[in-house]
Amino acid sequence: MFQDAWLHAALWLQWLFLGYFLSISACYLALNYISLYALVGYMRDHRAEYLPKSLRSYQPPVSILIPAFNERETIVSSVSSLFKLNYPQFEIIIINDGSTDGTEDEVIREFQMAEFPEAYRQRIPTKHVATIYASAQYPQVRLVDKENGGKADALNAGINCARYPIICTMDADCILQQDSLHRVVRPFLEDPKTVAVGGVVRVVNGCTVRDGMLEKVELPDRLLPLFQLVEYLRAFLFGRLGWSPLNALMVISGAFGVFYKERVIAIGGYRHDTVGEDMDIVVRLHLNLRKERRPYKITFVPDPICWTEVPADLTSLRNQRQRWQRGLIESIVPSLEFIAAPRSGTVGWIALPFMLVFEIIGPLIEVTGYLGTLILWGFGLIPRDSFLLFLFVSVGIGMLLSINALFLEELSFHLYPRLGQQFRLTFAALLENFGYRQLNSIWRAWAMITWFFTFWRKGHWGKIERVGEWQKTDASPAPRNPEGK
Amino acid sequence: MGVALLAVLMLLLIVVLREVVQHRERVHAAAVAFWREIVVPRPEPEPERIPPLDRRDLPGFLEVWNAVHEPLHGETTPFLARLASEVALEQRLLPRLAHGTFHSRLVAIIAMGHIKDPDNFARLQPFIDDRNPTVSLCAARAMMQIDPTRAVSQFVPRIVSRGDWSQGSVATILAESSIEQVSRELTGVTLQANVEIAPRLIRFLAGVSPQATAPIVRQTLATATDERLISTCLQVMTASEDLDRVRPLLSHARWHVRMQAAVTLGRLGVPGDEQALIGLLTDRQWWVRYRAAQALLKLSFVGRDNLRRIQAAQTDAYARDIIEHVLKEEELGLVPQAA
Repeated sequence: MFQDAWLHAALWLQWLFLGYFLSISACYLALNYISLYALVGYMRDHRAEYLPKSLRSYQPPVSILIPAFNERETIVSSVSSLFKLNYPQFEIIIINDGSTDGTEDEVIREFQMAEFPEAYRQRIPTKHVATIYASAQYPQVRLVDKENGGKADALNAGINCARYPIICTMDADCILQQDSLHRVVRPFLEDPKTVAVGGVVRVVNGCTVRDGMLEKVELPDRLLPLFQLVEYLRAFLFGRLGWSPLNALMVISGAFGVFYKERVIAIGGYRHDTVGEDMDIVVRLHLNLRKERRPYKITFVPDPICWTEVPADLTSLRNQRQRWQRGLIESIVPSLEFIAAPRSGTVGWIALPFMLVFEIIGPLIEVTGYLGTLILWGFGLIPRDSFLLFLFVSVGIGMLLSINALFLEELSFHLYPRLGQQFRLTFAALLENFGYRQLNSIWRAWAMITWFFTFWRKGHWGKIERVGEWQKTDASPAPRNPEGK
Repeated sequence: MGVALLAVLMLLLIVVLREVVQHRERVHAAAVAFWREIVVPRPEPEPERIPPLDRRDLPGFLEVWNAVHEPLHGETTPFLARLASEVALEQRLLPRLAHGTFHSRLVAIIAMGHIKDPDNFARLQPFIDDRNPTVSLCAARAMMQIDPTRAVSQFVPRIVSRGDWSQGSVATILAESSIEQVSRELTGVTLQANVEIAPRLIRFLAGVSPQATAPIVRQTLATATDERLISTCLQVMTASEDLDRVRPLLSHARWHVRMQAAVTLGRLGVPGDEQALIGLLTDRQWWVRYRAAQALLKLSFVGRDNLRRIQAAQTDAYARDIIEHVLKEEELGLVPQAA
């Protein structure tokens, strides 16, 4: 009698897991095909520069904000690479968030900066701003030296100092391309309703970077970054691009995003009490603008515009993924009241439920599903066919999605043109489904459990060991006014 | 099993797609290299005999042809005209215009603009109303190159209804055209436009002809109540005889109007205006204080030394700080443009 009930429950659970995997796969496939449609349209319209470049006065000036906490190793080359941006008017604001490794000294020395008597205005409250530095040799660069308050606080201080209507937030270790800013600002010119734009972040491990600019695109040598490369393709080329046509994009990577400054100030800037400030700001922008019933657009451009080094060791990767998961939870949980709320549109009816079920609770269900199925099969409580079916659905569809991401890349930018590169990518796309994906799910599930038990405790920036292996030369700053002004 | 099969199929598709794309790119690159040698102007004499244009080389030829024309700003050269005629370019473009893919159709539209054959005007006309903004703007630009007089009367009224046209592209097309025709047409449309559209049109007009803008700005400032429209008028104002309309706006309820009024006084102000600007140094809005201090520094009859004296006379710390900020900014050469 008891055994019958147990068997019944086990079979019921089995169907539940299978149902979950089928629905998540169906959603991802739907996103995949929406992004395929969006990508084809985007490539059609932007394949070439059909019209002459807009007059300089019509390209909005941009304030680039670079929060830096112990970024001594990479900050100078990152800022130097920005001098080569092909964009008419921009300023660079480096926000030193109480670094202890001499980041501030490095910037002051390299860019020959001096104290500047800035009439600082605190439109968004932040930790104490001690000094602002400027340079006569590099007039577009300013350094804001402030007390440590976290990345969100640093970004808010940068917004307080920003002169221009568009702000671009980027990580200190990011590598851009000459036309990155031009491409990511384009949606603001094409549609005045645009309030925020995100772009594709690519993996720089294995690539050659000279003087802070990407020189040659290559695949990483090591397996772990290679898996992440496939994962980034999947996450950006359909995970995010798929949401964009629905105006329900929920994440703009903190590594590189562009926002209409006044809208960010209107919602009080970045929140300090979350580790996922990049996602949180986008969610709040959506909800705020929908509440105010303002027409708006949050757009994603599929062009590769920003390159970043991904963790090359498991510990850093685990820290990063757990931080992302906590950030995701902290952004979504306060917004749960908007799920299926009137006038919440695609955000409340599709994106938020999707995030809650598949991205927040999902990893827990996945891990339970994997373990449960294995245990049940081990004890002979489910038939072999059911076990194989489960394996095919979970692993097989994962492979299909990864291969689809490679297909989208091939259809659009084909940055890895050699056949050898393609085989390595395909190999990684297949192999990552055996262990890597499951490991990620375990980390994310664990992050969710720990978050649940430490609900109100403040998170911290995760510490990622960056080795800077992609830097071929130690870049030095470009000459005064390098953009030719 | 089906899933695995689908994954393998996708992989095969990628490999096939890669081969096709790479082959196409090789052919295209070869055509571009070959025709660049002929089309791009160089010091040595032009070739007497033009080689025949192979059908598969046409996309590469068009890429070079259009690129060579871009810096000529709507003009062509006798050699380029001869080249077009000898390779029968126009006839080759017609099928592309009618049945081409998005890219080949756009390239054909651009090339037709460079050829400047009046017969093509009517062929391009339907495309100015295309739903895709890139197609419609390219068609408008090509029509402007072929017959500016006829095109401007079709293009300008559409600026009002096409909210999806990028302002930068519209301004670029207008800037490439004849000033008289564009300003006449724009003036007419601007006078009838509502407050939503008028700021955009005034900005376009100011880009084309500041002289033609002055009477519109004067008329608008006399009657307008919309703050965005007033701000735009202040931004494009170039006539110092209109300053009497600016001064009352220094106390406007909206801060961005006060700010633009300060900027305008900094540009056009006369002795006596500095007093009004000094009053703005204690404004509650940072941007108003900042622009007022910049405006004072910009006025030739004030200058750095006088601004230092003004700073010393201030009792308000915000006013002193903003002057210090602006003086240091000027000293270091850090002068940002827009707010």
